[in-house]
Amino acid sequence: MGLLVLLLVALALLDIRLGSVRITFAEIIHHLRGSEHLSEQQLIILNKFRLPRLATALLAGAALPVCGLQMQTLFRNPLAGPYVLGISSGASFGAALVVLGAGATGIVATWNLAVAAWLGAGMVMLLLLFVSFRIKDVMTILILGIMFSSGLAAVISIMQFFSQAAALKSFVIWSMGSLGNVTGLQLQIMTWAILPLLLLSFFYLKVLNGLMLGEEYAVTMGIRIQRTRIIIFATTSILTGTITAFCGPIGFIGIAVPHMARFIFRQSDHKILLPATMLTGMVVLVLSDIISQMPGTERVLPINAVTSLIGIPVVIWLVIVNRKSQSL
Amino acid sequence: MTDMQTNHIIALENLAIGYDKGNALLSGVNLSVRPGEMVALIGRNGTGKSTLLKSMIGLVPMMDGACYLDGDPLHSYDLRKRAQKVSYVSSQVSQLPSISVLELVTLGRMPHTGWMGRLEEQDRSMVTQALEEVQMGSFLNRKLDQLSDGERQRVMIARAFVQDTPLMVLDEPTAFLDIPNKYELIRLLTGFREKGKSIVYSTHDLETAMMCADKLWVIHRGQILEGAPEDLGISGVFNRLFDATGITFDEDVRRFKYTESPKGSIQLMGEPEHALIWTGSALERLGFEVKDGADSLIQVSKSEQGYGWLLSHNERTISFENIYNLARFLIKDK
Repeated sequence: MGLLVLLLVALALLDIRLGSVRITFAEIIHHLRGSEHLSEQQLIILNKFRLPRLATALLAGAALPVCGLQMQTLFRNPLAGPYVLGISSGASFGAALVVLGAGATGIVATWNLAVAAWLGAGMVMLLLLFVSFRIKDVMTILILGIMFSSGLAAVISIMQFFSQAAALKSFVIWSMGSLGNVTGLQLQIMTWAILPLLLLSFFYLKVLNGLMLGEEYAVTMGIRIQRTRIIIFATTSILTGTITAFCGPIGFIGIAVPHMARFIFRQSDHKILLPATMLTGMVVLVLSDIISQMPGTERVLPINAVTSLIGIPVVIWLVIVNRKSQSL
Repeated sequence: MTDMQTNHIIALENLAIGYDKGNALLSGVNLSVRPGEMVALIGRNGTGKSTLLKSMIGLVPMMDGACYLDGDPLHSYDLRKRAQKVSYVSSQVSQLPSISVLELVTLGRMPHTGWMGRLEEQDRSMVTQALEEVQMGSFLNRKLDQLSDGERQRVMIARAFVQDTPLMVLDEPTAFLDIPNKYELIRLLTGFREKGKSIVYSTHDLETAMMCADKLWVIHRGQILEGAPEDLGISGVFNRLFDATGITFDEDVRRFKYTESPKGSIQLMGEPEHALIWTGSALERLGFEVKDGADSLIQVSKSEQGYGWLLSHNERTISFENIYNLARFLIKDK
């Protein structure tokens, strides 16, 4: 765990350093300690771009894998992730409405986009909570979630088909994900939506452990299944919805990181697994961000593609080479 | 408060169970378990054994009637309090996570720990003790999916035991187990009874149940009968249990046996005694009746070369050097 923290700090510093304007490690450290070593331009770049970008990566990197872990435990399915409930499809639908439907483009649209995506995610969440009050079988809920997301994806593809080229391009770019668009007030909102819920998840460690044997055993050990399920769904929806609204979809780290944490720590106790997942997630997303900036070049890769390209081999490796270490 | 409710760890009154409204699997069920009693639930597949057990502990809603757990109605308990009164071992073994033996058994302490699940010294020592008791003390870090059926079942039972409840309910705990494991498991359960726990378990193994249970619950034709094994034996219910399936209950050996109308009768002679017994059991398996004065005769003998079987039938005599060949001939011939 200590090693991971060190790795995270190192990667975070590297992440801040990277970019077309040169800021050295020494300057960053001096700055963080409060002394005035940086030029005006460096300060703006650091405070307006690089630090918010790092903060976004840390928040999303911690939150998405936690959602994935909770979903994997709740559904007792190693392939579950934050997106199985259809939350991100809801967010995409909201974004599509704004970008494709209203034709809004450019910077002005960023706020509208976030709000619409958030509303879309919220809509799916309400639907999901409504369903989970009525349906007892958790697998049915899983199937419904997958159906919601496929249905929404179909609607979005129709909207894409009939939209203008410019609108289509900005929607496609949104759907590639970005950590760089969250600044100022948006970052504050994101922070306040995510941090309390991440903290809340620590209150559910015992319950998550109890769920490992399945819901039947969980009930006989005193766990209130319905309540647990609703809290987990609501937490996951808000976390995933918020991140997707501000950053677009960020693929695979939600599914892959919990498996990495299980592999690194060889544990299935959520008391270890939950913080391990958060930490691993932050490391992976910051690393992905560094890769996406393609050090040495002027170009930036879409973050969603990078996380997928990192996540997919990990999942494949875990499934094929290391089946035994998967604890689900 | 009636006597039924106060002196029993669990009492079912006029219970109806099932999943379909208006189509109960069992209804009018009146059963009870006293503290320190071991009850075996017997019944054919699909008669509602699992449903009865699940309804009894609140996993499946009851359709009608009442269930009193340690004197109070089941519904008056919150889940945590209920989990301190009754523990459960499911018959389903699929989809267990690959967590370690120690982690799994520790889960049993959940109803007794705080919201963070912090373990006190007492919790830990209980877990270690239980693992010693089920002889899994040296498997603490073994993953659940690396255990044999017998080991896994013992671990599941240790988990239920550390839940420290006066009542333990187990759904077919001896299914999938070989004979030594089965007896080991029954020995564990009777050990828990000695410690004052009440145990209700379902099983298809009537013989073992008759050896250890204080009481049987037998489901037969939508009815459920309750009594000491011997009471039910006298009532003749065992003979009726498998009506029209060719299976009857042999009271002499207190065992079920499969009978068809015999394919023929054969007389058996010779020595040594144990070869005769095994030959007889082969004939029984093949559906022949062993009868003195029958048309066919098998003579068993033992010489320097080994055992030999001489079959005399229709004035022909054929010799065989093992039962397998004899059996093959008998099946083809008749």
